[in-house]
Amino acid sequence: MSRFRPPVWFVLLLPAIIILAAVVLIPLILSFYSSFTPYKLTRPDTLYKWIGTFNYEKAIKSTHFWAAFGRTVLLLTIALNLEMLMGLGLALLVNKVTYGQRALRTIMMFPMMFSPVLVGFQFKFIFNDNVGLVNNALQSLGLTDKAIPWLVDGQLAFIAILTAEMWSATSVFAILILAGLFAVPRDPIEAAKVDGCTPWQSFRHITLPYIMPFIYIALAIRSLDVARAYDIVQIMTNGGPARRTELLWTLIGRTGYIDAKMGYANAMGYISIFLAIFFTVYFFRKLNAARSELGMAG
Amino acid sequence: MAQVHLRDVVKKYGAIQVVHGIDLEIQDNEFVVLVGPSGCGKSTTLRMIAGLEDISGGEITIGDRVVNDLPPRHRNISMVFQNYALYPHMTVRENLGFSLKIAKRPQDEIDRAVDEAAGILSLAEYLDRKPGELSGGQRQRVAMGRAIVRHPEVFLFDEPLSNLDAKLRTQMRTEIKKLHQKVKSTIVYVTHDQVEAMTLADRIVIMRDGHIEQVGTPLDVFESPANTFVATFIGSPPMNLLRGRITGDTISLTDGPLISLPPQFASNVADGQDVILGFRADNLMPVGHAMPMEGAYAEFKMTVNLSEPLGTETLLFGALAGKEVQAKMLNPRPLQNGEQLQFQLDLTRCHLFDAQTEQSLR
Amino acid sequence: MNENLQHRIRKYLLKALHFVALFIAMAIICVPGLWVVLNSFRPTVEIMAKPPVWIPNELNLDNYRAMFGAVGEGGVPVLQYFTNSLIVSVTSTLIAILVGMAGGYAFARYSFKGKAGIFIGLMLTRAVPGVSLSLPLFIVMAKTGLIDTHLGLILVYVALNVPFTIWLIDGFFRQVPIDLAEAAEIDGCTRWQAFWKVEFPVARAGVASAGIFAFLTSWNEYALASQLTRSTFSKTMPVGLRDFTSEFTINWGGMCALAVLMIIPALILTFIVQKHLIAGLTFGGVKG
Repeated sequence: MSRFRPPVWFVLLLPAIIILAAVVLIPLILSFYSSFTPYKLTRPDTLYKWIGTFNYEKAIKSTHFWAAFGRTVLLLTIALNLEMLMGLGLALLVNKVTYGQRALRTIMMFPMMFSPVLVGFQFKFIFNDNVGLVNNALQSLGLTDKAIPWLVDGQLAFIAILTAEMWSATSVFAILILAGLFAVPRDPIEAAKVDGCTPWQSFRHITLPYIMPFIYIALAIRSLDVARAYDIVQIMTNGGPARRTELLWTLIGRTGYIDAKMGYANAMGYISIFLAIFFTVYFFRKLNAARSELGMAG
Repeated sequence: MAQVHLRDVVKKYGAIQVVHGIDLEIQDNEFVVLVGPSGCGKSTTLRMIAGLEDISGGEITIGDRVVNDLPPRHRNISMVFQNYALYPHMTVRENLGFSLKIAKRPQDEIDRAVDEAAGILSLAEYLDRKPGELSGGQRQRVAMGRAIVRHPEVFLFDEPLSNLDAKLRTQMRTEIKKLHQKVKSTIVYVTHDQVEAMTLADRIVIMRDGHIEQVGTPLDVFESPANTFVATFIGSPPMNLLRGRITGDTISLTDGPLISLPPQFASNVADGQDVILGFRADNLMPVGHAMPMEGAYAEFKMTVNLSEPLGTETLLFGALAGKEVQAKMLNPRPLQNGEQLQFQLDLTRCHLFDAQTEQSLR
Repeated sequence: MNENLQHRIRKYLLKALHFVALFIAMAIICVPGLWVVLNSFRPTVEIMAKPPVWIPNELNLDNYRAMFGAVGEGGVPVLQYFTNSLIVSVTSTLIAILVGMAGGYAFARYSFKGKAGIFIGLMLTRAVPGVSLSLPLFIVMAKTGLIDTHLGLILVYVALNVPFTIWLIDGFFRQVPIDLAEAAEIDGCTRWQAFWKVEFPVARAGVASAGIFAFLTSWNEYALASQLTRSTFSKTMPVGLRDFTSEFTINWGGMCALAVLMIIPALILTFIVQKHLIAGLTFGGVKG
């Protein structure tokens, strides 16, 4: 009579596990397999031809790949750090406000509502060399009479993309860090003031350790979907012109869909997945460390 | 030399004024306790001395320096907070040495100061723990240790014992008193607990609604309260207050007996004046169950509704002039509820207050 | 007195600096959005004008009229895209909430072996970049015939939202004291009744905000949708936005109008849940 009854938690988690397996895990296994084949969309039979690690070797030898990889890591590093710093600054500014803080907080959430595509489009418009807000303003102020090619020049385009990315994500940091600032008890800060700390010292020694977990949460959440930057770049430059703003993700998309080299694209896709997982795991570990530092663990 | 002088100090939050022009002179090495019900402005006053709140008017000096606009770090003070305010991410040692580290003192000096403070407060064995691993009393001691390592001119205590249980509170009270004798500094101490105020203070400052009601030694404020508020706030049980009117050389209590006018007030009252008579339970005792009274006293009958034996004495609850009145009995015997006894009231220890102003008529 | 004066002056200077910095920060946040809204009301001539026209001479609804017209601006079937977006987002959100609630409850209330591992595993599925996932999904969907259908996109969005929904809902259920359900069970409820009658109502606001968050993610998603939808019948708005750029002359005004149409629902929903959202994220994260 003893029928096997699975534990309740397992039943409750089952739908989530099934859907994630179907939509994420199985395709990932497939793409892992196909990364060892010369699979091309246009020739389905190539899916059954095993070529070993050829695609990975090809990627590792490709200068295009390394340029895109380097550019991606550079963009992520600069963007995440600047967003964190500016988010921290913004949160501190808003935290100091006593009157009208609710309104400011609401304004602060504004960029979070914009989908990345919209951000990309918005900044494509703003940085447009002909009708963009930036060039219009520069010309009207008499700072230049040329149309600065923001989205054509490689370095300028990088700056434009970075600006768009930061505009869209800084507020995520600011909101979460602000929540952290609210959670900082007032007493230790005042004790530090009495103990002789300058405002900078009490921030450095007391406030910062308190909000570190919140900063890492923000970094972890952000690194979960850094790849959203793909949307922005795809709209603004699509990696162009002439690969000058090529990121890993745009390179993958182009290789897979335009060149139809699915196997090769999947191989690079795997590299990008490990990059994302690396960032996420790294910040989660930092979060746990910061939490136990404050005695919040458990 | 660290006197603290407050001259006409005012605090406003927008249109709401919470401290109304306070004047107070605190001497060097004096232990002054600010006491009053919550919301009376005592903590705000302390925080203005610390520099944690801006002052809206008046002047504060510490030593010879006007400190009105100085940030806390330039005031040479230290403070013990109600919730201890320990730095959770630092060990006890780091907590204690933090202020010296900020002041960039050499490491050996910091170590010496920390060890000294840890010795005074018997914290030596906890130095490498974090605040989260300490009990309430230990945290309280760390908070005090952090205050003493700097040898400041003035110590500020903001209700430091209110988060401890009753037994620990009594124990820490003694330690604070000992500490004051050891470190010889000016102390300003805020509490809402009148027992703490009485036991610790050189002088008590009683506050209500942002005003100072009375300043004096513990005995002063207990024995000659300036008004009915101080009379009921200081001392336990609170002073009995009964309304009445002066008629000749007696007080006719409203709906109650006639009582002869206490001789010490004879020249301060006018015939027909409305007054409030105040006396403590210790000065109203049943005849035959206490030492017989000498000097001026009044006698009347009163029904005892309830008695609370406290060991050495018994607290009696009776009704007089339509109000509940508390009395004491020194030689206790079992009482029946509703029993009527003859009471004696010691007139020389009575207080008279004006019925309108509620100020003492002495 | 000199010392005091110095500190007072410094205090006022810092206050002024704070105000200026705050103003600049808020301006940077607001201007790009307002620029788009403004241009959605301007005729193309004025947008293109050289030298630029700063103070608008003429504001009209032409771009919106064109957008909602029979075929839409430049043949872009905006209304069809809007409907697609709505169907896909609403359906996937509802499913994600049900699945996420079950999962979140399991994490909040049961302890089991490998809990932390499973949790991280679920979260990591979210870390897979959309492009990288879209390649194999494209192949699978092409084989199963789900490509270019609402159903295919809905499934994908459910999977996309489940990890985050679980995270949020786990946090909210943890805030509901366990005694509450136990009290209800002692009062005669079954576990099932205790959940629906006691725990769920208490955590309802949190669940709602998790739902809105899932909706916004679906509503705004682009990387997957751009590959998995091909025709007018399944394209969502973020993908539709590209229709404006595929021509040589970009219709800025029309794009701005579509952008405004996209933002408005997101704007309203975000304002509704902003409080719960922050609470949920930080609670789930900090209290572990």
